[in-house]
Amino acid sequence: MTDLLRVRDLSTRFFTEEGQINAVENVSFTVEAGSVLGVVGESGSGKSVTGLSLIDLVESPGRITSGEIWYNNADLAERVDGDRPEAVDGDFVDLRRLSEAERRSLRGSAFSMIFQDPMSSFNPSITVGEQIAEAAEVQRRASANPRSTRSRTQGYGLGKLLLDGVLPDRSYTSAESWDRAVELLERVGIPDPAERAEEYPHQFSGGMLQRAMIAQALAGDPDLLVADEPTTALDVTIQAQILDLLADLQETMEMSVVLITHNLGVIARVADRVSVMYAGEVVERGTLEDVFDDPVHPYTKGLLGSVPDIDRPGERLEPIAGNVPDLVDANMPDRCYFADRCPKAMTDCLTRPPEYDVSEGHRARCVLAEREYSEADAVPEGRLSGPTDDAGTPGGGSVGPGESGASDRSSETDAEVSDD
Amino acid sequence: MTDPLVTVDGLEKYYYENDTLLDRLTGAEREAVRAVDGVSFEVREGETLGVVGESGCGKSTLAETLMRLREPTGGSVTFDGDPVYELSGDDMDAFRRRAQVMFQDPFSSLDPRMTAGEIITEPLAIHGVGTGAERRERAETLLEEVGLSADQIDRYPHEFSGGQRQRIGFARALAIDPEFVVLDEPVSALDVSVQAQVLNLLADMQAERDLTYLFIAHDLSVVRHISDRVAVMYLGEIVEIGPTEEIFEDPQHPYTKALLESVPRADTDERDRVVETIRGDVPSPRDPPSGCSFRTRCPELIQPPWLDAPQAAFREISEFRTRIENGDIDVDTRWEQVGDPDREDRAAFVDSLYAEAFDEDLPDDDEGTVREAIRALADGDREAAAATLRERYRSPCEAVDPALPAGEHPSACLLNEQPDDVEAAREEWEADRDAPGVGASSR
Repeated sequence: MTDLLRVRDLSTRFFTEEGQINAVENVSFTVEAGSVLGVVGESGSGKSVTGLSLIDLVESPGRITSGEIWYNNADLAERVDGDRPEAVDGDFVDLRRLSEAERRSLRGSAFSMIFQDPMSSFNPSITVGEQIAEAAEVQRRASANPRSTRSRTQGYGLGKLLLDGVLPDRSYTSAESWDRAVELLERVGIPDPAERAEEYPHQFSGGMLQRAMIAQALAGDPDLLVADEPTTALDVTIQAQILDLLADLQETMEMSVVLITHNLGVIARVADRVSVMYAGEVVERGTLEDVFDDPVHPYTKGLLGSVPDIDRPGERLEPIAGNVPDLVDANMPDRCYFADRCPKAMTDCLTRPPEYDVSEGHRARCVLAEREYSEADAVPEGRLSGPTDDAGTPGGGSVGPGESGASDRSSETDAEVSDD
Repeated sequence: MTDPLVTVDGLEKYYYENDTLLDRLTGAEREAVRAVDGVSFEVREGETLGVVGESGCGKSTLAETLMRLREPTGGSVTFDGDPVYELSGDDMDAFRRRAQVMFQDPFSSLDPRMTAGEIITEPLAIHGVGTGAERRERAETLLEEVGLSADQIDRYPHEFSGGQRQRIGFARALAIDPEFVVLDEPVSALDVSVQAQVLNLLADMQAERDLTYLFIAHDLSVVRHISDRVAVMYLGEIVEIGPTEEIFEDPQHPYTKALLESVPRADTDERDRVVETIRGDVPSPRDPPSGCSFRTRCPELIQPPWLDAPQAAFREISEFRTRIENGDIDVDTRWEQVGDPDREDRAAFVDSLYAEAFDEDLPDDDEGTVREAIRALADGDREAAAATLRERYRSPCEAVDPALPAGEHPSACLLNEQPDDVEAAREEWEADRDAPGVGASSR
């Protein structure tokens, strides 16, 4: 299988008054064409910021500070080669070295994103059809005239009302893009799409609105869809519908999907490959079988052991002690970030572990990939003073799984002021 | 062990809309939102009864009404022999001491301006237990018991993480030494690793103090893990209740089956597991379906006795019927789509809508009936179209309201054993109707 995206050593930081937050740190992974990569982690692990970094949506005070995102697109490579040969490697283009305008032109047509909460992602005062048609129109105009890729923001409220009175025919969308919107709504399984397109977001249920958001994301026929917790706000029967839809679309449209979630069941249902994130790092990655059946990193094992199994209820869960650390740079120890919660911490863990190869394509950021645990090398008590549950360091794990997008930033606010 | 501590009988909580003075003066009809619609069950001493259901099914309202945090609109709750809704004065205080509640949201359920110690000692102060020093000592013990440390007593909620705040909420519920604790989604706001810690804590404290839990959650794996018995709610009603093992291994109600099947398993075999997803959304509790409330989404919808169509075809017809009856199909828009603004080519209209609505191959008779209905729709006569379909495709599920019978593992579904009066109503309904005609093709 060819690779669609190769991400190398990507770091995204937030520069706040409380200090520097390392939301994503030296993350590397590959997305194969036509496959699903699952990114799993707890809140504050940096999985949402990773998704935003991929399509260059990180907002101030955040910034991608280093790393490369190689995107496989022969046409783009040819176009860019003249101006910036350093950004091209064969058919691959390093998105980070493209200009802002070029990156923006890829949004929607090459990469698209759907968000967790469909209710707050739509404009409540514009019909669903109009909002999807707008996305389709942007793509239509862009392909008609590659230089006009500017998206247009709809005004609304009193201003729109007055303007509409003066200029009755100022609709941005065209009949063509409206038809495309209806077609897209039908594609994502909304019954009576022509009628529903005329309705406002509040007239849709949560599941329907999530379908509509997927339709909007598909408007530009993207190569890669980043889905950030697409089913977290939905009930389990609706979740099953949406996962089926995503799997179906991914197959028929030959899209790649990066699925970000905290739910291991969702990952198991749709992902081909898995990256497990902890404290801004990918601690383990590999195929679904590698990570679920043969995990190496104690965090991956702990995560799998924390989930009650619906088919085989055990007597007792084996949780991971302690909480997720906050990501303020000054508080991050210069050792394995997981060592203070790790049942198998050894003296080796007092230095930062590199990514070890476990087998072909299966990597883990843990020394256990290389050697067995031995009691003799266990870290003596007290060497690891870090945020544990009882010590009560604020910030860290305090953000619910619901708030992934903002979680890394909200943990800054209750984090302790750093000294630098 | 088997004595009921709490007995709930026919509990109803309706919220009314259009119920202001002005509405009454103008004679507007008030509209009931049936959040809890006639629920009966018991919680036995020392057990954990799990209540599961999707959002909007009324499980949280059930908890609040049961605790008398809201007044019911009907039914009764008996706590250890006392009728909860008739208590007052000292008896009410005693009930409040013996039954406690722990809430879902670790962020909004603790007062940000009170320290952990103040939060935990508040119920003690309200009920006048002990002196200040004794209360503080008790709070310190409780903090240790729920896995925090006593020297955190003077910290404020914002200094704790989500999991720690839930521990404080639990310590507050335990402060007054209750027998019965209602846990309303206690772990759903927590990360999985922290969730497991709190679940273990709840189990430990129950064993240590002989607590009785009513555990409300939407996560079926969590409910299975912690509950002795489980009640499944749908649209304000309990559709199935029984021992955990039986509910999960041998579910009876089609909704329970669908719910269990929908949960994605964290397992590498998950990809190949075939999930028969149920279609559509939960109907509004303002206007619940007649008869069985699950019938609009039910994969096992019962066919009338005169019909013997393939089940998949029958479901498609029923879904199409619902769309017509709800007026979801806009005839004008359809004509536009067909591209025939003069509305002359009725056959094209029928073919286009039929092709869109039906993936299944219908038996010839049924295809005839459906096409007849679409023709009526093309002429703008929605009522006739609905009537054509209603006559032939009425299901007993929409005429007869199933009840939850008594017993160890009852299910409120006509496919399962039903009380005599429901069976009688069904027989009456079936006898009442002769097999209707077969539609246009045979006339």
